[in-house]
Amino acid sequence: MIIYLLSILLLIGVAPLLLSYIKAVKMVMLFKRPISIFQGYRNFAKLMHKETILSKESSAITLYAPFLVLSPLTVVMFFLPPIVHGSYYVSFVDAFTITGLISLSTFFLMLLGLDSASAFGGMGSSREAFISALVEPAMVLTIFSVSLMAGNLGVGQAGVNLAQHFPQEHMASFLFAGISFFILLLAENGRIPVDNPETHLELTMVHEAMILDLSGVYLAIIETAASIKFVIFASLFASLFMPLGLEYSTPIAMLFFFVKLFFIATLVAFLEVNTAKLRLFKIPNLLGIAIVFAFLSLITFYVLGA
Amino acid sequence: MLSLDTLSLVFVGLIVLGTIPNIFYSSGYLPHIERKVHYQLHYYSFIVSMLGVVVSANALVFLFFWELMSLTSWQLILTEVKDKSTIKAARFYFIMTHFGFVFLLLFFLIVTDGDLSMGFVAMKEVAAGFAYTTLLFFFLVLGFLSKAGAVPLHVWLPYAHPAAPSPVSALMSGVMLKVAIYGLFRFLFDVLYPWPLEWGIVILSIGALSSLVGVLYALSEHDIKALLANHSIENIGIILIGFGMGMIFDTLGLYALSTFSFIAALFHTFNHMSFKSLLFMSAGAVLHQTHTKNMEKYGGLIKKMPVSAFTFLIAAISISALPPSNGFLSEWMIFQSMLSSSHIDVMALKLAIPFAIFALAMTGGLAIACFVKAYGITFLGLHRSTNAKHAKEVNLLMKSGMIMMALVIFSLMLFTPFYLQWFDKVLVELGHVSVYKDIFPNGFWHMHSIGMNGGIVSPIILLLSLLGVTVLMLVAYKLFGVKVRFCHTWACGYNTGAKTQYSATGFAGPIRRFFNWLYKADEHFTKQTIAGHETKFISSDYEVHVKPLFERIFYDSFGKVIAYISYWVYRLAHFEQTRYAAMIFNIMLVVLFSYRVFSHEFSWATFILEFFVMLISVKILIIGDKK
Repeated sequence: MIIYLLSILLLIGVAPLLLSYIKAVKMVMLFKRPISIFQGYRNFAKLMHKETILSKESSAITLYAPFLVLSPLTVVMFFLPPIVHGSYYVSFVDAFTITGLISLSTFFLMLLGLDSASAFGGMGSSREAFISALVEPAMVLTIFSVSLMAGNLGVGQAGVNLAQHFPQEHMASFLFAGISFFILLLAENGRIPVDNPETHLELTMVHEAMILDLSGVYLAIIETAASIKFVIFASLFASLFMPLGLEYSTPIAMLFFFVKLFFIATLVAFLEVNTAKLRLFKIPNLLGIAIVFAFLSLITFYVLGA
Repeated sequence: MLSLDTLSLVFVGLIVLGTIPNIFYSSGYLPHIERKVHYQLHYYSFIVSMLGVVVSANALVFLFFWELMSLTSWQLILTEVKDKSTIKAARFYFIMTHFGFVFLLLFFLIVTDGDLSMGFVAMKEVAAGFAYTTLLFFFLVLGFLSKAGAVPLHVWLPYAHPAAPSPVSALMSGVMLKVAIYGLFRFLFDVLYPWPLEWGIVILSIGALSSLVGVLYALSEHDIKALLANHSIENIGIILIGFGMGMIFDTLGLYALSTFSFIAALFHTFNHMSFKSLLFMSAGAVLHQTHTKNMEKYGGLIKKMPVSAFTFLIAAISISALPPSNGFLSEWMIFQSMLSSSHIDVMALKLAIPFAIFALAMTGGLAIACFVKAYGITFLGLHRSTNAKHAKEVNLLMKSGMIMMALVIFSLMLFTPFYLQWFDKVLVELGHVSVYKDIFPNGFWHMHSIGMNGGIVSPIILLLSLLGVTVLMLVAYKLFGVKVRFCHTWACGYNTGAKTQYSATGFAGPIRRFFNWLYKADEHFTKQTIAGHETKFISSDYEVHVKPLFERIFYDSFGKVIAYISYWVYRLAHFEQTRYAAMIFNIMLVVLFSYRVFSHEFSWATFILEFFVMLISVKILIIGDKK
């Protein structure tokens, strides 16, 4: 139980670090002087002490929605698969609940965008609604396929099962599901082929547009929510699609897990440097690839058993 | 004549839960209506007729109440006739509902052997003796699904439901559609029980198609009540997906899974009743205050109408199937029943069901988009018209109706085991195995799926943890003592105005553009430019209208065929006498030729010769020259 709580705290703690790390890696690769990987914490501290400005046009939604954006994601943190062998994990929550909670958070984020009566907010919400509507089917099909291989739909249980019994006989469908999930990781977190987290140019932004009218503590909350969402997806990817290293002794297994997280972050950074952001109406093609891979994964599992 | 078994009882419960808040709401709405006696008379007899349908025990009583239900709701649509479109909608509804009635009547005439006072159980033997049971199945599907509004018989729904006064729209969408689902349960189980595999597949495909079509057209709608009516099509589709999965599992001998899917369908029936009624009530409150159904004229209503806004938000979360709402729980169950398709050993079916999963998941994603649009444009931002600026909260009776319906939603969320227990009893009485113990094996905390690799959900734990975390954060926020300053939204140096906000049309823009191959929208774009500049203009106007594909293909082309035939009938009635003589001559020729063909020996040579003789004679004598 202590390890369970400790791992949650560590994951929440490492969340801003991961995003700063991605940014630093990107800057190194672009021959710039990298930012400190602790920049995320500095930003958080700075925002917490800044004055908070609320829009006169906004309503009670702006007052409460930031908390409702963060709280489902925080709840999801408690439901993630264990990172150490033998640690406690929540067995009564399945993958649908987790996608549902993530959608709940997105739902309030989209309302937040529309609340301030600004054209930017509406634009961001509209685009986010479009993207997340197309993410949903790929997500459900990937979950279905993973649950077949892991023998359980519960996320915690699936992580344990995959670690104990790596699905070598289903390698093909496992790989397809992995590709699909990685695309979803990029799409849900607004990484480069889908959304550029670093620009404030109205043509390109999605996530940033929705939160343009927030400041101070509220902005800090939303930024935290974004980093926690990345950690959720990264650790799901690490537990379900790289189910290795759980059997080592506790500190080594934990260290190994964080190495996996940073490996995923590096992978995302490499992809971000080497690809251009897609136009909004090209994004369905990318998500279509995710959907096709999820279908392929199911079909290979059923027909070939591979 | 009347009977009350568990299925009837459960649906009586549904109607009662759906109507009691509605009666309060309707009483609050009453001062707004001119023809009060007409309205009240039809309103209450509508409720009684729905109750009558679900408790009737023989065909005659069933048909009587069914028809009463159709006629009273038809009159209720005509309560407030403000423009021609209402009359048109009512006429459309009248025709479609009687289209369905004809098939029900045919069904009953066959299965009762002409004796309409026969009970439902006795019908089973007659039906078993009938050679073409699939025909009976299609009669049922056409009869009930034209009422429930499933594709392709759904076109009337987005016209008829919005035209009625708001409490009636809530009743029609929330409760009346469920009566059609009751009919499906009643007659498929009682009369046509051993189902071939194909029937389940038909229902499943209709469901998957309805859910996608419903939500896609809802997204392109700017009329708030038509948007909600389109969502009814979607939710009926989701119910039918659960129903179809149940039928498929039953045929394949997976009885526990079959019961699970039927329970999911029943649960979603209840949930749809609750949130759709509430959505129509809140939308009705908005409509009552702003006097327009056009969403582009709303905005900022959350400040003026907090109760309506809050109840709408609850219902929107529930209909978008977001946890921990009741809508999420039933959609979760339906997903679980589809994921259990890995137990099926028919490979083709096993590979086909992921497509239904895809449809349902896509529907879920689009529903979220649609309700962000509906809520955000209606209640958030700045008011887009003077009516919206001067809107006030509605009266106490209407408010209490909405709050009561919100309580129904909460009860479905919190007391899920209680409701599922009743649904389980229904299925046991209809001859299925009981699965309640498998869904809740240890207490009411966790809901389990029946399938081998199924999931678990714990609604109450989810609700408590979400509430707990949110409250903790709020407390921390308060303790932190944040200094807040109020300022206008930054609009790049310009004034923040209502016109610069995103509109409903704009919000749905990306999705409309992506699905343009389906929508084929009519776009009208005019702008008044300054001195011939392309990019500088004083005013511009963009309007987009989407006419449903099904309406365009089936209904309009049907109309064209009718018009074509009637044109020729008209021509026929206005011939000169010589033409008639020519026709008689031609008919005699046909009779003589066909007598030879059928009675004597047949040869292709003479047949072709005669054919050409006929052709030339018809062309020269009857059709004549083109004028």
